[in-house]
Amino acid sequence: MSVSTPVRPAPVTSEAREPRPPRAAVATWLIPLGYVAVALFGTWWIAIDLAALRDGASDISRLLARMVPVTFGLVPALLGLVLETLWIALAGTGIAALVSLPLAAAASRDFTGPKPVQWLARGLIVVTRAVPSLVFAIVFVRIFGLGPFAGALAIAFHSVGMIAKMMTDVFEELTPAPRESIDAVGSSRLQSFVATTLSRAMPSVSSLVLYRLDINIRASAVLGLVGAGGIGVALQTAIGSLNYHLAAGIIVVIAVLLLALELISFLSQRAVAEHAHDGTVAELYRRTPDPTRPGWNRGRALRTGSAVVFAGALLFALTQVRFDPGRLSRSWQSTLDLLAGFVPPVIDPAVVTGIFESLVMALTATTVGVVAGLVIAVLSSPHLIRFAPLSALLRILVVLIRSVPDVIYALVFVAALGLGPFAGFLALSISCTALAAKFFTDSLENVDPAPLRALEATGASRLQVFVSGVWPRFVPSLIGNSLFTSDLALRESAVLGIVGAGGVGFVLQESVATLDYGTTAGVLICLVVVVVALEAVARWARKKVI
Amino acid sequence: MSASATRPENGPSVQLHDVGMSFGHKQVLSDIDLEISPGHFVALVGPSGAGKSTLLRLLNGSHLPTAGRVSVLGSEPATCSRRELQQLRTRIGFVFQQFGLVGRLSAMENVLMGALGSLRMPRYGVSTYPRDLRVRAAENLERVGLLEERFQRCDTLSGGQQQRVAIARTLMQDAEIVLADEPVASLDPSASLSVLETLRRLSAEDGFTVVCSLHQVDLALRISDRIVAVRDGAIVLDRATSQTDETELRSIYSDRAAA
Repeated sequence: MSVSTPVRPAPVTSEAREPRPPRAAVATWLIPLGYVAVALFGTWWIAIDLAALRDGASDISRLLARMVPVTFGLVPALLGLVLETLWIALAGTGIAALVSLPLAAAASRDFTGPKPVQWLARGLIVVTRAVPSLVFAIVFVRIFGLGPFAGALAIAFHSVGMIAKMMTDVFEELTPAPRESIDAVGSSRLQSFVATTLSRAMPSVSSLVLYRLDINIRASAVLGLVGAGGIGVALQTAIGSLNYHLAAGIIVVIAVLLLALELISFLSQRAVAEHAHDGTVAELYRRTPDPTRPGWNRGRALRTGSAVVFAGALLFALTQVRFDPGRLSRSWQSTLDLLAGFVPPVIDPAVVTGIFESLVMALTATTVGVVAGLVIAVLSSPHLIRFAPLSALLRILVVLIRSVPDVIYALVFVAALGLGPFAGFLALSISCTALAAKFFTDSLENVDPAPLRALEATGASRLQVFVSGVWPRFVPSLIGNSLFTSDLALRESAVLGIVGAGGVGFVLQESVATLDYGTTAGVLICLVVVVVALEAVARWARKKVI
Repeated sequence: MSASATRPENGPSVQLHDVGMSFGHKQVLSDIDLEISPGHFVALVGPSGAGKSTLLRLLNGSHLPTAGRVSVLGSEPATCSRRELQQLRTRIGFVFQQFGLVGRLSAMENVLMGALGSLRMPRYGVSTYPRDLRVRAAENLERVGLLEERFQRCDTLSGGQQQRVAIARTLMQDAEIVLADEPVASLDPSASLSVLETLRRLSAEDGFTVVCSLHQVDLALRISDRIVAVRDGAIVLDRATSQTDETELRSIYSDRAAA
């Protein structure tokens, strides 16, 4: 995306001039133009053409045919791995939540301690956020060996960045008055933080950790592809031994697991929305004859009960992933070796090409996904076409597509089409389409209906209502969500190389396997830089458009 | 200066000598000389922006003066270490216009927070505070007439009740001086009077000094022993409440240009 900088500063006579038209206009055409330009370049780089797509389709359908009938192998073993997936996610999320609390407190604007501590906290959050959990998994498998322990740590590291970032935002949104008044009683910083900031942030913090748990279960399902435990291990074995019937069965199991998760999170969100006002009951504890003793009521029982259940589940999950501090200390030497190997980082042409390819794959796939997702969203929202079965069908399709992680699409496409960025591009396009369709459908449905009714009342056709009533208000969300989609796609495309689907992931995996840690560091640095840069562009664009 | 101290302190509660305060280029207070004896109830009046809040914040060390000397309860916040300032603050209560309560916690827990300065570790939830503090918290809630509401969420209480919770919180500190920054500005007139009367009664019972900024002249006249009027960062009137009247005080708010 090209951003032109003026050569000379504009003369400072703006007040005398005509008011400039809103800047939004520039970004609204500059961003789509950027995407299209990159996509055109991407089509050439990845060598996408009609013949390739036609051949690809027939190769994929032949592979799918070879997968039928699906088998499930040893069901108890498979269920054991499903459970292990859940324990990895739970242990990783739990560790991340605990580490995030102090980190977010230090990174927050209100932190009054030493500045270097704040910079360090902010830096850690940015870096861990930018590195996908599969990348951490590759490195941790090297240090701690195969198994769920490396997986849980990988989940934890990536989630620390994500959770701490959101926690910082929660902390910063709180009004300063209670904190100031508790500072004024002569409390320590920690006391004041716990009493006024943490206590007020608790509801938001719990819900964002639960939301992360949901995402982390998805991520844990594929960690096995690099040997970091969970159901992905079985998939890796099945594909490796060319047992496509079993591989298909395992993919079905993963899809069912993630669909069940989707259902649970939908139901629990609805339950929370329905009971939103229960939280404001006046009496927090039942009064007892002794005025100093807080009694038990339903609310307190629920709060304490859920805290105990979560703590218990976390402890159990930690035992299940064989987490023990001794293991961490025994791996001290290999950690040091790794960190020593990071210096000096090597950024050679292979690394740069890999990163570039990942970026091109991600942006090209985003463009395809945004266009296809837009078509699906328009068809499944009631603005232009009001045919309920079509809309229902499309919605179910989107949910089903989203139930398979994109690394798994890539794995299947590589098996059908061979190694290279084409398989990765197709996999990313599918997941970007589903993601964009979901975002766009939601925001098309949330367009305020009152002005649309007014337009209809003037006798405008559906198309006219859509073009003048819906579209202008949809554009900010279109751009915002497209940027968000490419942000996610970039992180995904960086790991697709692990299954041979192009991009920097392959270089990364090779460098770890051959103990070429300098290259590993080079890849990580480039990855962080590119992800952070894309985020900065997205933030800039969002400010201009919304 | 009367030395009617009910506290071990014998000197004045507050002593300001030639104090000036500026934020960047903006001079907020200048040449402030003020001495307040223990146990007095002083009303600080003046138009908004006159520097009342800044003056109060100088007294608990939230701001440090850019000129002159501030001494509170025998210490100078400007020369205190962080730890010493923390110690000093446990002896100074502060009541804010916006109450400064944690709305989703109970009245009891908010009151207990006033004792954090005397505890070492952080606390979360009423039952994590020691029993003797809980007994005192219940007593203090009773003294402000809110014992029945002790386990209610603070944000379900009325504005007047919330400010009483905040006052009960300062009682947990056994404060020797309570600074109140527009404590009734967010309340309706009847709640305002009753909150101020509560503060006055508690100050008389426990013997703590009160410095309370107010913009309602009638309330200041009803409640205080002494009135200090501030305008444009300077003290323009300072005398016993009985020796001034509404007309004189109102003039401080009008004819601004004359200054």
